[in-house]
Amino acid sequence: MSDEATKKGNERTRRSFLTATTALAGTALVGEHAFADARKRNPKRGGTLRFGTRDDSIALDTHRNIIYFVSHPLTGITGGLVDFDDKMQPKPAVAESWDSSSDLMTWTFKLRRGAEYHNGQTIDAESVKWNIERIKDPKTSHAFTRSVLSDVERVTVDDKHTIRFHLKEAHAALDINLIYYPVNLMAPGAVDTVDTHPVNCGPFKFKSWRRLDVCELVRFENFWETDSEGNSLPYLDGLIGRPKKEDRVRLTALRTGELDLIDNVAYADAPAFKKDHGKTFETYPVPQVGTAMMFFNLKNGLLSEKDNPDAHLLRQAIAHAIDHEGIHQAVFNGIGEISKGFYSSASPWHSKDIEGWPKFDPDKAKSLRKKAKGGDEKFTIIANDTFPYMQQSGELVHAMLKDAGFNAVLEILPSPVMLEKQNKGDYNIDSTANSYRLDPDGWYGRNILSSAPENRRRIGYKNEKADQIILAARKERDPVKRRLMYADVETLVNRDLPMLYTHFVPLMMAGNRARVKNYAVSYSGPWSYSGAGMRRTWIEG
Amino acid sequence: MLAYTLRRIAQLVPVLLVLSVAVFAFVEALPGSIVDTLVGTEGGDIEEARAILTKEYGLDRPVHERYVLWLGRALQGDLGKSLVTRRPISTELLSRIPATVYLASVGIVLSMLIAVPLGTFAAVRRNSAVDYTAQVTSLAGISIPEFWFAILCVLLFSLYLGWLPSSGYVSPLEDFWGSLQFLILPAAAIGFRQAAFTTRLTRSSMLDELSKEYVDTARSLGHSERKVIFKYTLRNAMIPTITISGLQLANLLGGTVVLESIFAWPGIGRAIFEAILQRDYPLIQAGVLVLGVIVVVMNLLVDLTYRLLNPRVKLA
Repeated sequence: MSDEATKKGNERTRRSFLTATTALAGTALVGEHAFADARKRNPKRGGTLRFGTRDDSIALDTHRNIIYFVSHPLTGITGGLVDFDDKMQPKPAVAESWDSSSDLMTWTFKLRRGAEYHNGQTIDAESVKWNIERIKDPKTSHAFTRSVLSDVERVTVDDKHTIRFHLKEAHAALDINLIYYPVNLMAPGAVDTVDTHPVNCGPFKFKSWRRLDVCELVRFENFWETDSEGNSLPYLDGLIGRPKKEDRVRLTALRTGELDLIDNVAYADAPAFKKDHGKTFETYPVPQVGTAMMFFNLKNGLLSEKDNPDAHLLRQAIAHAIDHEGIHQAVFNGIGEISKGFYSSASPWHSKDIEGWPKFDPDKAKSLRKKAKGGDEKFTIIANDTFPYMQQSGELVHAMLKDAGFNAVLEILPSPVMLEKQNKGDYNIDSTANSYRLDPDGWYGRNILSSAPENRRRIGYKNEKADQIILAARKERDPVKRRLMYADVETLVNRDLPMLYTHFVPLMMAGNRARVKNYAVSYSGPWSYSGAGMRRTWIEG
Repeated sequence: MLAYTLRRIAQLVPVLLVLSVAVFAFVEALPGSIVDTLVGTEGGDIEEARAILTKEYGLDRPVHERYVLWLGRALQGDLGKSLVTRRPISTELLSRIPATVYLASVGIVLSMLIAVPLGTFAAVRRNSAVDYTAQVTSLAGISIPEFWFAILCVLLFSLYLGWLPSSGYVSPLEDFWGSLQFLILPAAAIGFRQAAFTTRLTRSSMLDELSKEYVDTARSLGHSERKVIFKYTLRNAMIPTITISGLQLANLLGGTVVLESIFAWPGIGRAIFEAILQRDYPLIQAGVLVLGVIVVVMNLLVDLTYRLLNPRVKLA
């Protein structure tokens, strides 16, 4: 344990002592039996968890860079106004409560008293305002983070503990957009060290970071969250992140005892690992980290109505040529689900009322291809080399299209080249994926809506009916109605084929049973969330 | 010798200058831009953000102007900051050099410790069991890919026997004995393959020397076989071995991206590789400069070693 952690550990001990003596006094009143039960319920605390991840953050400024909450050790330092639970539903965090005006144009958040940044600075309304303004500033934030606040016109401070968001357009899900991922809060007083020593307000404090090597975090003693018995969270003394890019290197390090917990067990390894080592290692299946799909370029080229009157026919032919079951087996090793929409059956936003994409029918694919103008012309499939399933799906789709007689070429490219090709529209099909969006507007409003920048940049899809539904759903408070509205959008997408959903991206974490206690993973993969996850984990032995 | 050394060091300057120009031009020609990777994609104000970042990083200036600016700062010892992490290059890159030097040096020393005795004995006892063993082993070492051998080592020594950690790095300055545990497998993976090349080279070089007249002369003068082999023949035979080992070391100091990935070793190779993927220009420039210095210095050291091995060698 670090000196800092040791020092803070003493503080913790003092607080634990007070909690314990108070509990002891109470239990003495209700008898010895009740005391024994209470002791049994109390979890053990402490230990430093060694966490092996596939990925690492690219830098430390949590506004300027995406700190991906599934696979970045640095996630532990982040916190915000709103938290989420294991079902990815919004929960109070720094904001204890919130409310919206009847027209959904103003949202008011009441801040938790006593909540602090890691440097001891109080999280008050002024500091939250400073954070929101920093995130909204293109000079100091990442587009992904900034885009969730695009509807926020301004923020005002009512008093030290009350902050008000004034929107440009009514929005029923602003609270979800303010979840710590990506809208996390950092201490304004420490902005000068944001690139070397970030000061945030999450369950763990930053200690050190060497990119792609090690990330050391220690428990934040004054984190706002407590368990049901009033013990402060997290239980762990610290967390050591060990990014190891290769899946098998990470798995081997877990098996040899160098790591306690890892993310992303390779799909090819998962079934055998579970079967052969299930007694020693716990596995934590995550049903949907994201959704894989093929984007079609509708901005220009062979698959765009602008350049080819038979573009839709050609897209239908392509869809008929793609065997989803083949992708399910070959790429995902039979793990997870084939997708007909953006949300899997594990998500509260999943809908059964979606009309699916054209079924796999190679003969029909061939006849449509011959019938369509440009069916013999060469077209390009691109895939990012960063994620194995994107690349493998691209390879498989390429082979399937070749079987159906398409003149397709495949290019596996690094991210900067992918971005350039996407920006220029220099491709026809993009084997890609999108991470799970907590609120459906995060997907439909930012990728399907015709005015959404990402749609304009990558797809160029426009369907007025879909636009109307998405904009109406944004103002709908009733989640059941919203879910049905989004199902209608999915049906339109599967008919128009601006993209072809292929598979939900599953993930399996694994941990050492003997050491990692009480760990649970949320269904979309984050390891730090309200009520469980890394915050209630402790290490034994 | 001092004049020679100083002259060689002076030659370093134009070499590095040409190298830096070539790398600057090469990176400029790469498709994809760091600005695109940093600004993200989902916002409605991407163009504004791109313009801000382009100006902040000075990427709106012509390439020659940027090069001159970079060179001016580099001459003052300021390699700048990483465009991605916004931290000094010294933090991002130079801190990784000790890990690389540690691994490469031990790997090469290990290969020499295997190759020189084995190659020498194989030559002296030509067509004997030792010779056949040396030849078969070195052939296997050349044929087996380094990454495959590394994975086998991990499986055997980490997973099944549990003797050594499978991956990671501890600085020898923090915990020397602890660092050795992490070092053994990657150093062995490097050492075995390099030893395979060097063994064959030492053997053929020794055979060549053994056939020369001065060896017969030494023997006819009544010197012991040990003295003939180790004092006279081996010293001359070591010149090509040292040359190749020096180049191997320079190559290893440049980073072994695959081995660094397998053993999660925080070396300079992975840092430069990641920088290239992200188009982090200052980091790439600094990395290539460092590698250039390493190669030139290694060549100089190799040349100076010739003189130590054989005083008759003249350094021109």
